[in-house]
Amino acid sequence: MHVFKFIISFCVTLALIYFLDNRWVIKGNPIPPLGKFMDPFNGFWRNIEPSNAKGPELLTLPQLQDNVTVSFDSLMVPHVFANNDLDLYYAQGYITAKYRLWQMEFQTHAAAGRVSEIIGAGRNDALLNYDRGQRRLGMVYAAKRSVAALSENQESLIMIEKYTEGINSYIKSLTYKTLPFEYKLLDYTPEPWTTLKSALLLKYMAQTLNIGDKDMEMTNALKLYGPQIVDLLYPDREDVGSPIVDNNGGWKFKINLPDSLPMAVPQELIAVKRLSEHDPNIGSNNWAVSGNKTASGSPILCGDPHLNLNLPSLWYIIQLNAPGVNTMGASLPGTPSIVIGCNDSIAWSLTNAQRDLVDWCKITYQDGSRSKYLLDNQWIDTQKVVEIFNVRDRDPFADTVLYTYWGPVTYDRNYMPDNNHSEYAFRWISHDPSSDATAFYKINRALNYKDFNDALDYFAAPAQNFVYASTSGDIAMRIQGKYPIRRPLEGKFVIDGTKKGNGWNAFIPNEQNIQEKNPARGFVSSANQYPVDATYPYYITATSFEAYRNRRINHQLADMNQITPRDMMTLQNDNFNLKADESLPYLLQQLDSTTLNPEEKRAYSALKEWDRINDKDSEGASYYEAWWENLMPMVWDEMENSKAILKRPTAFTTIKLLKERPTLSFFDIQGTLEIETAREVIRKAFSLSVEDIEEWSADHNGAPAYWGDYKDSYMQHLARIEPLGIHVRAGGNANAVNAHSKLKGPSWRMVVSLEKTGVKMWGVYPGGQSGNAGSEYYANMLDPWVNGEYFQMQFFQYPEDALKHTFFTTQLNKQK
Amino acid sequence: MKFLIQFVAILFSAHLLALFMPWYSIAIAAFIMGFLLKSNTNFLAGFSAIATLWIFNALLIDAGSSSDLSERVANLLMVKYEIVLFVAMAAIGGLVGGLAALTGALLRK
Repeated sequence: MHVFKFIISFCVTLALIYFLDNRWVIKGNPIPPLGKFMDPFNGFWRNIEPSNAKGPELLTLPQLQDNVTVSFDSLMVPHVFANNDLDLYYAQGYITAKYRLWQMEFQTHAAAGRVSEIIGAGRNDALLNYDRGQRRLGMVYAAKRSVAALSENQESLIMIEKYTEGINSYIKSLTYKTLPFEYKLLDYTPEPWTTLKSALLLKYMAQTLNIGDKDMEMTNALKLYGPQIVDLLYPDREDVGSPIVDNNGGWKFKINLPDSLPMAVPQELIAVKRLSEHDPNIGSNNWAVSGNKTASGSPILCGDPHLNLNLPSLWYIIQLNAPGVNTMGASLPGTPSIVIGCNDSIAWSLTNAQRDLVDWCKITYQDGSRSKYLLDNQWIDTQKVVEIFNVRDRDPFADTVLYTYWGPVTYDRNYMPDNNHSEYAFRWISHDPSSDATAFYKINRALNYKDFNDALDYFAAPAQNFVYASTSGDIAMRIQGKYPIRRPLEGKFVIDGTKKGNGWNAFIPNEQNIQEKNPARGFVSSANQYPVDATYPYYITATSFEAYRNRRINHQLADMNQITPRDMMTLQNDNFNLKADESLPYLLQQLDSTTLNPEEKRAYSALKEWDRINDKDSEGASYYEAWWENLMPMVWDEMENSKAILKRPTAFTTIKLLKERPTLSFFDIQGTLEIETAREVIRKAFSLSVEDIEEWSADHNGAPAYWGDYKDSYMQHLARIEPLGIHVRAGGNANAVNAHSKLKGPSWRMVVSLEKTGVKMWGVYPGGQSGNAGSEYYANMLDPWVNGEYFQMQFFQYPEDALKHTFFTTQLNKQK
Repeated sequence: MKFLIQFVAILFSAHLLALFMPWYSIAIAAFIMGFLLKSNTNFLAGFSAIATLWIFNALLIDAGSSSDLSERVANLLMVKYEIVLFVAMAAIGGLVGGLAALTGALLRK
């Protein structure tokens, strides 16, 4: 009897331990291994860092050639002082991983279509389908080709390899106790870092920035509405003015424009669920003003890339110092060097250069087996690639993707079968091998404009507007990327993939890319607008161009003199809504104030009194934005309701058409008896928007819909883990200079004064240097960022200077 | 008195093992002390020792930090209040400790 009791008790104990030591999925909800996770000695509690915690004083790392000093300042920004390049990038890898490992790896998984390995297939297989989409867009294919290209440049190859070694040496030091929080919660462990992962991260950025196109939508529009309406709704160049570079008549080269391309408009309308849409809230500002417009007499350079505002933050600020290089700024965790920042001589920043760098090529198969396709009158073998997905809690899933001369066939009968079998091959500039990392290696070391320009020649994709300023007084802008020479209208519609000649046969030489240096107006600036004046010889098209932010910036900069860094910070945080300024008077005119109900009257007067500034305490801003959000889908309802995919025209074109063509047939709302014109649509959208605001207010205890509350900006956790995100009450919106929409916005605000006595940098970003949700540095810069405050960055010349201003120092020593 | 000795012995030995062993070392400590110091209240001794050990250490960490991660974890595990998180943690550790102490005591005739 006694033995029996013992055996029962023993088994129950073991079973309980087994249960608590493993992860379970109960009714679709994953439960972390509770015993392991809750244990205060090794579990998640160990990720809660004590206040004022300092890092280790000494680490011995056998792979170092020499000792490295890393000083952390009060923002936890590391200042790395190494005696050679090898150690510099090794240390950058090690330190970045120490603070951001989980995020780095998760992003590479998201790029490579491996999220379902960690999280599972998701509701209705949403995550598995996301992963399949990533593979079908050729993300891994692109990254592999760029790794191969890397080995062409010895310096950058060594840079990436040492960086990788540094990360791996940190990963090897980890135990369950020191594992980042998310690994414990989701119950998995990091795998070794590789150069492929660094390449994947750059492709992930490229996907955010330059994968957009509207070829299928334009093709459908052409079939449905004809060429005249397509020109009216989707002009290549909107009548906005203020291009990035205005060099009217100054382009000193002639080109032979190739013939126009035969169009391949298919028989049926294309109805696919698109994977690769460009989000118009993604964009950026950058500008530089010359010394004769500043109070100090030295140029000032500013930049703020608008990207997804996630936690952990996208950027990691770091200073890198070794013989031949002293640079500081924003780095992308997972890739070496500084992406946006300064060195002792120059500063630079990036905005996305809008340009169509995607084609969809219609494939003609020999038969249903799809094993051969037609190319230049020959039947060529398709290449079948089997993609395996090791889905968590489920058997592996296999997906066969066809590759052609053009690229992968993204949408086909194997993937989303309701996509009326639109078998188009995907041609994307980022599939081409390029060694963009080399460009940053060289920019970090550039001493003058010539060095900078030479460095940019290595940069292919995603095409960017590079702003430049130097302590020697130069300012410049160069739009750099690998640009195919497009025939008129090429790239706007799907193309016939049976002839190689329809593809990209030549590229714009780097020296003919759009650029300017020290223009007469005393500043250079870019904000994702149309890049150039009408006399630039090459054909340009893109998904869309920004129409408002850029004009506000240029207008302000033109008016300013005796500029101080403080003035530039004010401009970066400017919430003036130019779109509202240009459209609201017209919209209000369409309302007959005698027919408004009491709520509508209140809205009407709030809008009339509104100063057109999207401040967080503005009610007018909420009414305007709600009106706009209702107006767009109502105006373009025939596109929303169509089975064929179509794209709404831009805000700028919509406003222009409402004003100039009020009886355009699109303004008639489908399914109503009356024939609506601009006036009626505007009126109806107004009523709906007031109802929306009233409803919002009722849901919030009758609180007024102040813009900061109504917008409800949210810093999302990277893995969408709700309790790890943070809501903020902030002004701005996509069209304002402070382009802070609900989920996207200025991910790093930087102002650099290029004084001869020493470069000064100020910066702030919505998050913090630590990727650990249990650290006080997880989101310590968020509130200052919301309030438009900046921190002066400590940019040191010598390790001794750093030691004086340091919070703590970690010495990385080679083995004795 | 026997209870108190057993309680203290489990608490200290579990703490010691936890410094270099995985979380289930609490079971080893409780098992050994259940066997060596058998009392009339083995389960209670094991339960309360481990619960105390865990709560004490978790509180120490939480109090020394300005981070609100424990609140976020409470939300994550869909327990509304942080106090529930502490109770759940104590129950998990306590149950393992209690059962292990009981098993150890049962091994001894």
